Amino acid sequence: MSEPAAVEFREATKVYARADRPAIDGLSLDVPAGEICVLVGPSGCGKTTAMRMVNRMVDITSGDILVGDRSVRERSPAELRREIGYVIQQTGLFPHRTIADNVATVPRLLGWERDRIGERVRELMELVSLDPELAGRYPAELSGGQQQRVGVARALAADPGVMLMDEPFGAVDPINRERLQNEFLRLQAEVRKTILFVTHDIDEAIKMGDRVAVMREGGHLAQYATPAELLMAPADGFVEDFVGADRALKRLALMRVSDINLWEAPLAFVGQAMAEVRAKLDGAEVPHALLVDSERRPLGWLSESDLQADVVPDRPDSPAKPLLDLDDVMRDALSDLLQAESMYGAVVDSQGRIAGVLSVEIIADFLGSDDALTEEHPAAERPVSA
Amino acid sequence: MISLAVKAALLAAAGKGCAPGLPAGFCHHHAETSCVARNGFFCAAWAADNFDRYVGPFFKHALIVSVSVAVGFVLALALAVLSHRHRWLVPPLTGFTGVLYTVPSIAFFFLLLPITGFGTDTAVIALSAYTLQIIYRNTLAGLANVPPEAKDAGRGMGMTDRQLLWRVELPLAVPEIVAGLRIATVSTVAIATLAFFAGAGGLGDPLYKDITFKTNVILAGGLAILMAIGFDALLLGLQRAVTPWRRVRAT
Repeated sequence: MSEPAAVEFREATKVYARADRPAIDGLSLDVPAGEICVLVGPSGCGKTTAMRMVNRMVDITSGDILVGDRSVRERSPAELRREIGYVIQQTGLFPHRTIADNVATVPRLLGWERDRIGERVRELMELVSLDPELAGRYPAELSGGQQQRVGVARALAADPGVMLMDEPFGAVDPINRERLQNEFLRLQAEVRKTILFVTHDIDEAIKMGDRVAVMREGGHLAQYATPAELLMAPADGFVEDFVGADRALKRLALMRVSDINLWEAPLAFVGQAMAEVRAKLDGAEVPHALLVDSERRPLGWLSESDLQADVVPDRPDSPAKPLLDLDDVMRDALSDLLQAESMYGAVVDSQGRIAGVLSVEIIADFLGSDDALTEEHPAAERPVSA
Repeated sequence: MISLAVKAALLAAAGKGCAPGLPAGFCHHHAETSCVARNGFFCAAWAADNFDRYVGPFFKHALIVSVSVAVGFVLALALAVLSHRHRWLVPPLTGFTGVLYTVPSIAFFFLLLPITGFGTDTAVIALSAYTLQIIYRNTLAGLANVPPEAKDAGRGMGMTDRQLLWRVELPLAVPEIVAGLRIATVSTVAIATLAFFAGAGGLGDPLYKDITFKTNVILAGGLAILMAIGFDALLLGLQRAVTPWRRVRAT
């Protein structure tokens, strides 16, 4: 069961008795196996209802949903639900059961042996970074963040192929939410589940989703796209409004420094004749020379007075700050530049060797150009934990 | 043994009323006869001498209460669980148990006598009927107070209705259920003194045989009060034992 299963909505419709309009009207959506699909939209758009249709907590009126090629309509609800992880906002932990017993819920329903359950509980507590000492405590003794981790561990207990998460981090304070989100993305990289994730927070959607389904009232799909596509090309005014006016900035959170064309720095090696360096500076994109050691690792920037010398000194006047990494998230790199009040930042690769120079101008050009709105960037394929 | 302890306390109290210098036996006898003769508020010496007459009824009383509450509990719990699933049953069952609750107890006994005869059965049937209302309503309230997200999570993880009931809803309703049991038990201890009229014995037996003798009334009534306190403490202890999660500190 650990193999992630694709989830496919086929014209799934839900009409509640005595309602004049369907809550979900012919929703079609493909969630590839092993991906996080975020359902996002204003309250009342039907995102939670859509999610709950998958494990039959809400029954479909017409249409169908396939989980791993099998229609949910032909499964018994209890059996289906035991194969699908379920995490809800208020955690829904059982207050009368210890943490270990909470985590063991589904394995017990499935009739696992006691030893196997105990082992699995220990494994899961470790997986979600919970102190094993908490196993015998009750939920009320844990902080909100810890409770949420227990909720995730409990959902993962029987190693389901699909997970449903309804605003799982909604009740946690912003600082802990960020930490839980990052932890969860690391966890997902390890466990690779197919996840339907409901939120009303577009920033969370962009961060967590491999794909984002923006929904509007009546369960209508306004746009279904990768986070980058959503930010680059909102399908209509509704999506554009929902994504927000700062979508260009949001895009920076999805990019790494390596995704952009860097400028080449005029390099100066220790002991080199300064005349050569001065020649390089002529017409260079970066009007400053970067001093590097023999391994091409940045030592610092040469100042005007340095340039007056005959040979390149081994100690530059100004250090190579900020020093950026090709793997840095673009938004953080920009923040580093602004914080250092520097126009330029040397960018190094994983060995610490110079890879190029990032400037505020490059970022401004990028955001101002059509590039920012049309070009697909590789980093956008995976959300970056910022 | 509680009864022995009570007896010893009574003897000690009787000794205190004795004038100094008089021989113990005389003093005892004298105090007893005069107190009983003028029907004093509480004749400790008489109580000590006659305490054995109350031991049997005391235990019979405890038995009647235990059986009645147990039967009432099982029935009320079943009715509550049934109407928890079928909500339309709530108004008629609340009405029905309410009507039972309002029937005067002595009338209840006499109504039952032609059917179930003179004896313990009749008393237990009537007393159980009285517990239904309280336990039923408290159980329903307890089930209604179960956090909806706990139920949602239980269902969402694949619990059947029955599993949800036994593993989540009933355990979480225990505090309210026990609260109902405690009220029902204490009131049953009191009403069970009327079981004498159904011929079931219990503390009502000595009580009504000499209802004008104050010492008798106080002794029988006092034992009933002690029993009520004892049962209540027992149930409270039981509730604490089965709900350790209620005592954890919240963070």
